[in-house]
Amino acid sequence: MEEYFKQMAELLEVDSVNTNDELNSFEAWDSLTILSIIAFVNDSYAVTLNANEIKEARTIGGLKKVIDSKKK
Amino acid sequence: MDLLFQNKKISGVLTILPEREILFEDEMSNYNFTAAKSLKLKMAMGYNKHRIVEEGVCVSDICCHGLNYLFEHDKLKKNEIDALILITQSPDYFMPPTSNIIQGILGLKKDMICIDINQGCAGFVLGLVQAFMFLDQPSINKVVLLNADVLSRKVSKRDRNSNPLIGDGASITIVERSDESQNIYGNIWMDGTRADALMIPAGGFREPATNETAILKEDENGNFRSREDLIMKGDEVFNFVQQEVPPMIEALLDKASVSKDAVDYYMFHQPNRFMLHKLADKLNVPHEKMPSNVVENFGNASGVSIPTNITFNLGEKLCTEKKLLCFSGFGVGLTWGSLLMNVGKLNFCELINY
Repeated sequence: MEEYFKQMAELLEVDSVNTNDELNSFEAWDSLTILSIIAFVNDSYAVTLNANEIKEARTIGGLKKVIDSKKK
Repeated sequence: MDLLFQNKKISGVLTILPEREILFEDEMSNYNFTAAKSLKLKMAMGYNKHRIVEEGVCVSDICCHGLNYLFEHDKLKKNEIDALILITQSPDYFMPPTSNIIQGILGLKKDMICIDINQGCAGFVLGLVQAFMFLDQPSINKVVLLNADVLSRKVSKRDRNSNPLIGDGASITIVERSDESQNIYGNIWMDGTRADALMIPAGGFREPATNETAILKEDENGNFRSREDLIMKGDEVFNFVQQEVPPMIEALLDKASVSKDAVDYYMFHQPNRFMLHKLADKLNVPHEKMPSNVVENFGNASGVSIPTNITFNLGEKLCTEKKLLCFSGFGVGLTWGSLLMNVGKLNFCELINY
């Protein structure tokens, strides 16, 4: 979980992120960030996400839940 | 589907790119994003400059320029062309086929086949497959494969999703029979259920162009495009490539009993540098063996990107040496295909300007 927070903070260009942070509230949030998250999740968890699934996850914690639910 | 060909070879490759070069920075003000965000995109994807046709330039103009260059430099004779295959998504007209237009302009012989094929980023692989099949006819000794597109004319300048990477151009690949009985391995896959991942919605018969279809509208990501412009679902295309291409290449090499190391170069279609690096990593292939510099130098001209990759990165080397190349194209359709073949001792392998 710690590694996930660290990676997400890096992708969102902030020092740290919290479970309840809204994804689209970050200054860096755009379609490139979404693609970077898709690539990161694919590499680290072998889970394939699309842009809508990420947007619908809404928060940092919500996204982690989606990833975990798709893990085999 | 696995494919197998024998006694066929590529004997020359010419790439023709428009002289006009546009820098990423020159177009940043068209986008609805801050300069900082756009520069971040440039860094991540590996965008820099791209080659774009002047207004009004058509596929047949670039193809004829290239073919005339070959005729004038004695690299090809008009009367030896038995088949002309044009792979394009931006034909001069709905009808007739643009390959017939080219035949007429250049005064090629009438005892030949002209055929247009609507294909995109897998168009070089598809074109070679069609050329190999034609060469099984005793009357066909030499096939000229043209890959050409001017899709910048169908991309909104205010679409940061597609405009920075689009490129125009054409390539001419000469394909003929070979005395060497070397196997050429290939495979091709299609999935029409995902056809909407890359498309131009309006302007055909299903949704004819009207005043309404020409209106630019903003999408949820801040890009402006009309129904007549190319639309690409970036996330779906990325996932498609990462999911489908690596297993296809593994299966191809397996079928051919060739190890990954034995392949000299993986000459893949190039949507952007980011995607190519991810592909190379997934396949466990060193980045040096899978060139990824076409988009940053020229843009992505769909089926022309592999020939551009060949002429720009291997060039003269392929006139003297022989290399085992793995080609792979993937995109519109969706279509994904690959070929494994020896290429070398070419009569020409160069890149010229239009």
